[in-house]
Amino acid sequence: MVEVNFESVSKRFEDGFTAVKNLNLQIRDGEFLVLLGPSGCGKSTTLRMLAGLEDVSAGSIYIGEAKVNDLPPGARGLGMVFQSYALYPHMTIAENLSFGLRMVKDETRLPDGEIVKRVQEIAKLMELGDQLDKKPKQLSGGQRQRVALGRALIRRPQVLLMDEPLSNLDAELRHQMREEIRRIHDTLGTTTVYVTHDQIEAMTLADRIAILNHGELQQHGAPLDVYNQPANDFVRGFLCKHIDEIVDTANNLFPKE
Amino acid sequence: MKSLSQEWYTPQEIVTLRLWLAIAVVVNLLLSTIEWIRDDHLALQLSLIATFALGVVWLVLPDGEHAWKRDVALGKSGLVLVIGILHFSASRQMWIDIWSFIWLIVPAALCLLWLSSPVISAWSKGTITTQYAEWGLSRNKVMRPKLGVIGSHIILIHAVTIVLVPVFWILDVAMSPGNILGGDLGVSDWTGEHFSKILERDSSFWIWMRNSLVVSLGTTMMGLLLAVPAAYAFSRFKFSGRQASMFAFLLVQMFPGIIILVPYFMVMKSLGLLNSSLGLILAYSVTALPLCVWMLKGFFDTVPRELEEAALLDGCNQFQVFWKIILPLSLPAVAVTALFSFLAAWNEYLLALTFNTSNDMYTLPVGLASLISSTGAAWGDFAAASLLVSIPVVILFIVFQKFLIQGLSAGSVKG
Repeated sequence: MVEVNFESVSKRFEDGFTAVKNLNLQIRDGEFLVLLGPSGCGKSTTLRMLAGLEDVSAGSIYIGEAKVNDLPPGARGLGMVFQSYALYPHMTIAENLSFGLRMVKDETRLPDGEIVKRVQEIAKLMELGDQLDKKPKQLSGGQRQRVALGRALIRRPQVLLMDEPLSNLDAELRHQMREEIRRIHDTLGTTTVYVTHDQIEAMTLADRIAILNHGELQQHGAPLDVYNQPANDFVRGFLCKHIDEIVDTANNLFPKE
Repeated sequence: MKSLSQEWYTPQEIVTLRLWLAIAVVVNLLLSTIEWIRDDHLALQLSLIATFALGVVWLVLPDGEHAWKRDVALGKSGLVLVIGILHFSASRQMWIDIWSFIWLIVPAALCLLWLSSPVISAWSKGTITTQYAEWGLSRNKVMRPKLGVIGSHIILIHAVTIVLVPVFWILDVAMSPGNILGGDLGVSDWTGEHFSKILERDSSFWIWMRNSLVVSLGTTMMGLLLAVPAAYAFSRFKFSGRQASMFAFLLVQMFPGIIILVPYFMVMKSLGLLNSSLGLILAYSVTALPLCVWMLKGFFDTVPRELEEAALLDGCNQFQVFWKIILPLSLPAVAVTALFSFLAAWNEYLLALTFNTSNDMYTLPVGLASLISSTGAAWGDFAAASLLVSIPVVILFIVFQKFLIQGLSAGSVKG
């Protein structure tokens, strides 16, 4: 298990747009950190830089002791869950899950028997036992979500990254998966970075929330601390007011005696 | 005051007749030009009178208000029927006459049959009740799909006939004794002599076939080897000159092929690639490249980028991403592209004719054309060989049919 450190990280795209400005953020070992913000705030870019899918324009990213700025994505020891699941359509679920393990070519590669065992193990954790021979097309949205999560976890990543993983699910499933994600995190204790624009998701899932706007970190802290002591107007408006409105709506719908 | 049902009810027969009588009039007008070409005045007059009468029937089809229209339409249909029979008996009674006869007789007979039926006669008097109209509407709903199926089959049969007649003609030439072109179509004296001559052990056909296979398969491989990586690069990477080269690919497509003939010849000559399969393979691959690259690029564009990113995180390098994820997903498109380059090479004539001067290096199209020389046209052999040449293509199409549909309807890859 490891810490993740962003040190003065900036991202400037070729067209001149600055998506992330001078981000300093420490993600603690085993922590569930939620990157929260409106769309276009740079939260996904931050995650993608950590994953190695975007280059870092300035500053350094550390995973544990290692500076990972120029490491290829596969070498960083990460697992990632994409918004669209990004399951390989031409592979069965078992193949999807084991793909990452099978791609290892050096002496750290697990023997085939061990890979099969790992697949079984992760399928059990994700409750996918009888789906292993199916293709992604044959699964429901919730099941695909589990496969995506399982694929991210099977290599026992140092850090688990999730990019709005629940936004394609219906309300019922989203609620269910939210609890599941938290449960799995508590079981495995993997350092997790979770990107969302949904305040409720952030409040219910996170150990710590980091709120971004226009590429700048506004505030970070435990959900209730942030809610009780918003650092600025943006946080007050985006998080506190939004939550209050939802609570008010609920209270109006179900008036107390 | 009419009820809604009364207002909306027109028997399906009438609706059908309105459409198909109009079509029949147009078809018969076209068919009467045959008589005009034949310079057969009597037949032309009969045909025009019948067509005119059919047009009148179309104009006076019952409208559910004027009862007299039905009687006029019935009378005119009878007239068309009589003239149609007269016209046919006066004609040469070849298959084309039978065909034009059917286009006169069947519409007229249908009019007679339907207009005299109780349902139509009740409706055309304009006195039906609301209940009757409602019943009629539900009857229409049952009839409509049935008549629709018949109608679409009539159109399809015509389309298929137009496509198949030349093929059958070639078959007839190939199976008829002697090397004559034309003559009557007929199965009676068919023989396989041309086929056995073409397929003889020492026939040039086998040399041409070998050359064609080498060139076509070579072109397919070479084309794919060049087009697939190029298309992937165009689809995924940003590099300087990307737009310009994409446009250049389109640009070369816009010139007629004949323009490159002379330059190609000079190049091949200086490379010493005239009279060799390799020369043709190179030329064909390059010619087919733009189309292949654009088709494949279009398909690669539809493969979600997130799939590649997931593979990167799973530890793939860029080549593995391409090889293990993109390529398997693009197989339909690759198959279609392969088919296109194969066909282009298989059918190409001009370059093959220009580059090759010896019979040993001829491809099938050039070889076939050499059967028709100024000293003697072996039409029978030619026809037999053309049929044999198309067999591999037909087989390819049957095999690739599934891929073709998938590949052409790009965007079928969803996570």
